[in-house]
Amino acid sequence: MTERNKKTPYWNWISAALALAGVIVFIFATFGPPASSSGFVSTVKGFLQIVAPGYAESKEHYRMIPGPGSWLMAFVLGMAIGGFLAGRTFKMPVRDVPEVWEKRFGPSKIRRYSAAFIGGFLILFGSRLAGGCTLGLFISGSTQLAISGLYFGAVIFGVAMLTSRIVYGKTGKEET
Amino acid sequence: MITDIWLGLFSGIAFGFIIQRIGATNPNKMARAHLMEDPEIPRFMVLTVAFSALGLLGLQATGEPRTVILPTSILATGIAAIIFGIGWGLTGYCPGTCWAAAGEGRMDAVFTLLGGLVGTAVFAQLHEVLIPVLYLPSSIGPVTLTDWFGNRTLGAWILAIGFALCAWMIGKLWGRHGFSA
Repeated sequence: MTERNKKTPYWNWISAALALAGVIVFIFATFGPPASSSGFVSTVKGFLQIVAPGYAESKEHYRMIPGPGSWLMAFVLGMAIGGFLAGRTFKMPVRDVPEVWEKRFGPSKIRRYSAAFIGGFLILFGSRLAGGCTLGLFISGSTQLAISGLYFGAVIFGVAMLTSRIVYGKTGKEET
Repeated sequence: MITDIWLGLFSGIAFGFIIQRIGATNPNKMARAHLMEDPEIPRFMVLTVAFSALGLLGLQATGEPRTVILPTSILATGIAAIIFGIGWGLTGYCPGTCWAAAGEGRMDAVFTLLGGLVGTAVFAQLHEVLIPVLYLPSSIGPVTLTDWFGNRTLGAWILAIGFALCAWMIGKLWGRHGFSA
């Protein structure tokens, strides 16, 4: 385990878990349960309030989540800034097509972007049906001891593991 | 309201920075986690929950933080999780990580973000149809471990110890095929 950690520019998982738990407890103390899929609703709501205000007003899903001038929207924008700052100060360059994907499906960006788009559609459709995502339901929910969070977490991990086996087949295993 | 926006922004920056540093914004690392080859992300996630649950317990001992317990709907939460799992396995991003990864400069994350906005809009359109059919009939309400064990402190410790054991087990079961970022 120690030799493995030396090879990677990533943080140790235990310290990182402590750091993120600190941020989560800070969020509970200053706002409430953290969530990120709700930020998508705030974003779409803000867009619709400009182009189709009547429609946004008529739909329950937009009525139940605050619009762009909210903690939820600021949080997801903050995530993008945090990712930007972290990426700028990181040794490893980013790729538009992940290695394991390229090994299985080739370097086509269009193919990867299409799959990424469909995947994005599915994770948000699922999150909005459940009422939260990895953060808003699994992490937030489980932190509050909610059975919904534990149930959602167990199923998303299981299904994602199965899906990646089907998507990548044996290619994932060929790496050193 | 303005304070909320600054707090949200600050929390998001800290959150996004940390998840990049553990590799959760790297879809290659996420795929290897799902393929049981790289244990770092899943054990980081479950250990984060273990620490957070104890942290929240401490917070509740000193004040009244706002909590929101979502109901468990056997059917809707289950179906939603299956749809989510398929999408997660396919893209390697979550609704949170795709923002940080897009900020990091990953182009495929931008497409996941766009797909997510469309998925959100489509669900919002169907909300009035789907929630009464899928969510409400099989909902068992906002059940928690506190209800099951009769005591919040006991529930939190059981969860924290259980998740710490999960983190340990993931380390045993994952990563038998070498390691690469």
